[in-house]
Amino acid sequence: MTTMTETHAPAAIPQAGAVKLTMLLGGVVFLLMMIFGLLMRSTQGGLIEIDPALFYQILTAHGAGMVGTAGLTGAAILWYFTGRHVPLLPGVYWAFLGLFLLGVVLILGAIFLGGYAGAWTFLYPLPAMSGGQWGPGASIAFLLGYTSIGVGFLLLHLEVMRKLIGAYGGIGGALAWPVAFGNGRAEDAPPPAVVASMASSIFNTLGIVVGAAVLVASIVNLAVPGFAVDALLAKNMIFFFGHVFINASIYMAVIAVYEIVPDYIGKPWKTTRLFAIAWTVVLFFVLAVYPHHLLQDLPMPAWAMAMGQIVSYFSGIPLIAVTAFSLLVYLRQAKGLRWDLASALLVLGVAGWTAGSVPAILDGMIVVNKVMHNTQWVPGHFHTYLILGEVAMAFGFMTWLTRREGEALTGLNRAAFWVYAAGGAGFVLMFLVSGALSVPRRWAVHLPEWHLQAQLASAFAALVILGVTVFVLRYLARLGRG
Amino acid sequence: MQMTVLALSLAVMAAIVWAFIAAAHAAGSAEVSAGVESRRMKLIVALAVIGVVVSVVSLRPWPHAASAAPAAVVNVSGGQWYWEIDSQSVPLGQPVAFNAQTADVTHGFGVMDPGGRILFQVQVIPGYVNRVDYTFDAPGAYRVVCLEYCGLAHHDMITEFTVAAE
Repeated sequence: MTTMTETHAPAAIPQAGAVKLTMLLGGVVFLLMMIFGLLMRSTQGGLIEIDPALFYQILTAHGAGMVGTAGLTGAAILWYFTGRHVPLLPGVYWAFLGLFLLGVVLILGAIFLGGYAGAWTFLYPLPAMSGGQWGPGASIAFLLGYTSIGVGFLLLHLEVMRKLIGAYGGIGGALAWPVAFGNGRAEDAPPPAVVASMASSIFNTLGIVVGAAVLVASIVNLAVPGFAVDALLAKNMIFFFGHVFINASIYMAVIAVYEIVPDYIGKPWKTTRLFAIAWTVVLFFVLAVYPHHLLQDLPMPAWAMAMGQIVSYFSGIPLIAVTAFSLLVYLRQAKGLRWDLASALLVLGVAGWTAGSVPAILDGMIVVNKVMHNTQWVPGHFHTYLILGEVAMAFGFMTWLTRREGEALTGLNRAAFWVYAAGGAGFVLMFLVSGALSVPRRWAVHLPEWHLQAQLASAFAALVILGVTVFVLRYLARLGRG
Repeated sequence: MQMTVLALSLAVMAAIVWAFIAAAHAAGSAEVSAGVESRRMKLIVALAVIGVVVSVVSLRPWPHAASAAPAAVVNVSGGQWYWEIDSQSVPLGQPVAFNAQTADVTHGFGVMDPGGRILFQVQVIPGYVNRVDYTFDAPGAYRVVCLEYCGLAHHDMITEFTVAAE
């Protein structure tokens, strides 16, 4: 295995300690949220009983917690590796982390003290119309929690963009547009981490701004019920924000692949013309594709739905033909590659993300969506590119942060990796099969004929939790040893 | 439809996983080759061509096309947590128009056949009449479920209607 260069050693990175703390928090929250997931699947399988009111609170916490933690770990990765290329203000990261934790406190209080169970998507006007399950105060606390987290992300992205624009001669320079669309030489292009960091920061900023607008509108609606918002407009804004945010989490996390995998392979990941074009395409597609979440909202304009379907399909091309294809080529050409837990999880992350795009693209077709939307097919595809995608990349990054020279994928590391991968694959397979069998998503109580898949999913979830427990304990032990 | 989608999805996912496993096992076996970029471009072109063909075929005719002259119009009202349908029996083999409205939050009007398979659905957005058309090809009792999370008893929003035999 190629050793790390001195300039890339973690200790040389500003705020390596803060990032390590963030990843510890992220790992622990991922674990807790997975336990929530196990509780829900066990309930759906009839293995345990949870009151529906509590089930939907857990559902809300699981969704908000997983999406938030995916964003948190993705942002930590972005910050860490952007810091290799431009100096970033440490105070901004602490503000980001502080606002995130404030948001977590508000969200947990809203759910488990206030009884809020409006799902992580806070679909207007559900927060204000709970049917007596929770009050407006709980909804306001939940939405303020999101707002706090969003402000933190905005600060982080603005600092990143400010520094990248200054260092690389503007937005186009940081996105490698001279190479993509001009006569610029690839040798002069910014590194892939910079291009990915700039593109992710742009679309996540736009998503969060739109999210903030609908959050504020929803809060005003709760405080002054006479202030109403068009429900379809609100849904468009919510899904624009939600889609962009979760995609940004993955696109930020893949920066770890661009920066770490070359150290194992002994060959740099370069910004080529195709890479630069692909990231510009990704920037626009991530912003344009969100109507694929509204394919059964028939008052939507037909052109928007058609655009959602078409962009959904073509969004897969940069992922499959650029990032995944390049990684496959790098792997085949790698001399002396020795696998360890970090590299295995990072490669798994790209493989899972790519595989998860397949059921997602199929669900983005209107004719399929008509019978698959809001069945368990949907959690099937997003759990594929989260458990086996973003989360795998996040744990790969965590593991890499505390790696030891000369380690190999043996013993407990090997067992934990395969338990996690096999458990994750089985878990998402049960969702996909259930979706094909028309089992609705987000139901606290399942019909007896749907129990078997949920029971099997519970067993697979336990395997995932076992693997993640090893990852987190291993990380914690190594942090303790320094 | 659903099982075909599942089979296609799993087949392509398996191919992707196989590509990664094969590359991991073959690590270090390939030399830097000019043919790599050529293969990449062929992949991009192939994916783009498939995308254009699939888009055209799957969007024409328009999947949400409404019938100009439905044989029956059924008004559906959803609320926390009930469905009200103004006609308990709908005709077989002729287009039926469902006009779905909500009294409160967004619901998902989903219809399952007697075997429990989802046939179609529409989001029931507050403030809109949400119309969806469908032609039933078998008589029987069809289940209506809610497919958009709407609160505490979301899973209990179930009712039925009948498709009459000819």
